[in-house]
Amino acid sequence: MKIAVILRQVPDVVEELVIAEDGRSLAEDEVMDITNEADEHALEEALILKARHAATVTAVGVGGNEAKDALAAAVAKGADDAIFVPIPFKHRGDNVRLASVLSPAMKSGGYDLILTGIWAADQLDAGLAGLLSMRLSIPYVGGVTSISLEPDGTKGIVRKEFPGGRLGVMETSLPAVYGIQSAEQPPRYVPVSRVVQAKRTLRVKEQSEPPEVVVGMRAAKLIKSSSAAKAEMLPGDATQVAEQLVRILRERGIA
Amino acid sequence: MDYTPRKMISALRAGRVDDLYRSEAIWLCVSCFNCSYRCPVGVPITDRLIAGLREELLGRGVGVPAELQAAFERTSRYGNPFGESARKRDAWTKDAGVDVPVLHEGESAEVLWWVGCFGSYNKRNQKDTIALARILRALDIDFGILGADERCTGDLRCTSQGEEGLFDVLYQHNAEQLGKRKFKEVLVGDPHAFNAFNKEYRRLGTPLDVSHYTQFLASRIPEIKRLIKKEITAKVTYHDACCIGRRNGEYEAPRAILEMIPGVRLVEMPRNRENALCCGGGGGANWLDSYIWQRTRVPLPMQRVQEAAKTGAQILAIPCPLEVPRFEDAIKTSGLEGRLQVREISHMVAEAMGLVGGSQP
Repeated sequence: MKIAVILRQVPDVVEELVIAEDGRSLAEDEVMDITNEADEHALEEALILKARHAATVTAVGVGGNEAKDALAAAVAKGADDAIFVPIPFKHRGDNVRLASVLSPAMKSGGYDLILTGIWAADQLDAGLAGLLSMRLSIPYVGGVTSISLEPDGTKGIVRKEFPGGRLGVMETSLPAVYGIQSAEQPPRYVPVSRVVQAKRTLRVKEQSEPPEVVVGMRAAKLIKSSSAAKAEMLPGDATQVAEQLVRILRERGIA
Repeated sequence: MDYTPRKMISALRAGRVDDLYRSEAIWLCVSCFNCSYRCPVGVPITDRLIAGLREELLGRGVGVPAELQAAFERTSRYGNPFGESARKRDAWTKDAGVDVPVLHEGESAEVLWWVGCFGSYNKRNQKDTIALARILRALDIDFGILGADERCTGDLRCTSQGEEGLFDVLYQHNAEQLGKRKFKEVLVGDPHAFNAFNKEYRRLGTPLDVSHYTQFLASRIPEIKRLIKKEITAKVTYHDACCIGRRNGEYEAPRAILEMIPGVRLVEMPRNRENALCCGGGGGANWLDSYIWQRTRVPLPMQRVQEAAKTGAQILAIPCPLEVPRFEDAIKTSGLEGRLQVREISHMVAEAMGLVGGSQP
C-alpha cells in the first residue's frame, strides 16, 4: 500500500498580509510560510493508515524552500520518503496549475491513495484533490474525516462530512484521491530534536516542472477586507445601559 | 497524584518504569521545586527525573496532553507560546508613553531589558511592562530591548517540561542575538527567564550578569525613594515565585521594595519564602489548566489566594507575570473579588512614583 500526501506551503495569517505593488499579489518578502492546516491533517490520516496497514507514506512538499522544512517534519513524524516540488510563489494559489504539475509524479509513483487537504488557505479556485483526480482519472471524495481500507487494498471506505455537519459513508475503488477535512485525531507533535535530526539527514527527490503546464485562474486584484460596521459599546451602569438599549431598539423599530 | 516523587523513585528502583509512564503524575508536576529543595540527598527530581520521563513520552508521542503540545508547537514556530507574530513582540512600546529603544544589531546600552513573552504579548501583563518602562525612564537608566529578535528563553529545560530540542533551538537563537549587542547587564521581568539565564545559559557558555527587576530596583532604593510621590495605604502580602525564590534563593529584594513604598504594611502568609506554595503555573502547567483542574481537588492558585485573603491583606503582590492572570482567575472562582487584588510589584512602585494612575491596573 503506497500513500502520497501533498503538503502545500501557504501564507501564515498570524503575520499581517501585505499587498504587493502590482495590487494583485501578496508581497512575498512579508509572507511567512506555513504548511496548510488541512494538509497537516492529511499527513496525520496517512500516518494513522500507515500504522494500520503497514503502508509507506511519501510526503510531497509543494512551495519554496520552506517546503523542505515541512518535509523534514513529516519524515520526523513517520513519513518514509520525501519529494520536493518547487513552485514559484506567484503560482501557488492556482490549483489547476498545481494539479497539472503534480499529476505526472502522482501517476508514475503508483500510489494507491493520494491525500491532501480539502482546501488551502491561498487557493484561488476548486480544491486540488478533485482536480488531481480528474487528471489521473481516478475516484475522488472530498470532506473526508476518516478512512478505512480493505485489507486487499482494492477499496477505501471514507466518512465524508456534508454541509450542516451531516455525515455520510462512501466507498471508492483504489487508487483514489481524498480531500481531507480533518484527521481522526489532531496532528501529532514531534519533538524539535527529531525534526532537527531529520533536517540534517533528509534526502529529498526534487521534481522539476513538467514541460506542459495548464494554467488556471489569476487574481486580478487583491483588496484588504474592511469592517462594514463597528460594534458599539454602551457605557454606564445597568440602568443607563438598559435605557440606551430601549432607545436604540425603538429607533430601529424593533420594539 | 497517583505517584508522589518518593513513589516515583521507588517504582524506578523496582524496575517498574512502564507504570510511571502510564502515570498522570508526570503531567501534574508544576515545577515548584519543593521536592528537589527538600530532598535530603539532592536528587534533581524536577528538572532531571520528571523532565526525563516527559522527554521520553514526548519522543514516543504517547500520553502527552494536547494543550502542552500546542504550546510547544507555537513556541517552536513563533518564539512565544501564544502563537502571536514574532514581529509584534514590541508592539506594546507604542502605548508605553515613554521611549523604549529597540537595540538592533551592533547597538549598545548599559542595560538590556529582556521583556519576556507574557510581558510583551499578554494584554493584562503589558500594563505592568509599561509601568516598569516608565520606572526605568524615571531612573534615567540607559536601556534597550531586543524587540522582534527576542524569543522565549526556553525555561523548558530548567523546569520539567522535557522539550529539550526546543530549548536548544531557542537558546541558539537568543545567544546569537545577545552576542550581536553590547550591554553590561541583563534585566528580566519574568522569573522563568531569570532562571533560564542564571542556570542554563551560563552553563552552556553564555554567562550574563542578570537580575530580576525586583533585584534591580532593590539595589536602587535610595534613588527611587527620592522620586516617591504618593502612598499606597494597604495591607500587602507577598507571594514568592518559585523561580526566583526556591530556585534562585531571592527572598529579600521583593520584600525590601514593598517595604519601601510608603503606606504599605507587609504581612506574611503562613507558607512563605522557601515554603511558599506555587501558583501552579510552572513546568508547562500554565498550558495544562484544564488537565490539572480535572485531576485535583483544589487547584494551587485557589489555595494560594485563599491563604493570601486569610492574612487580611488587600493586595497580593507578585513578582511574576504568569501569576497575574492565574491569581486573578482564582480570586474570581474563590469568591474573593473586591477583597483581594493581585498586583505586580513594578506596577505598585510605578504608582507610588506617580507614573501610572490609580490603584487599578
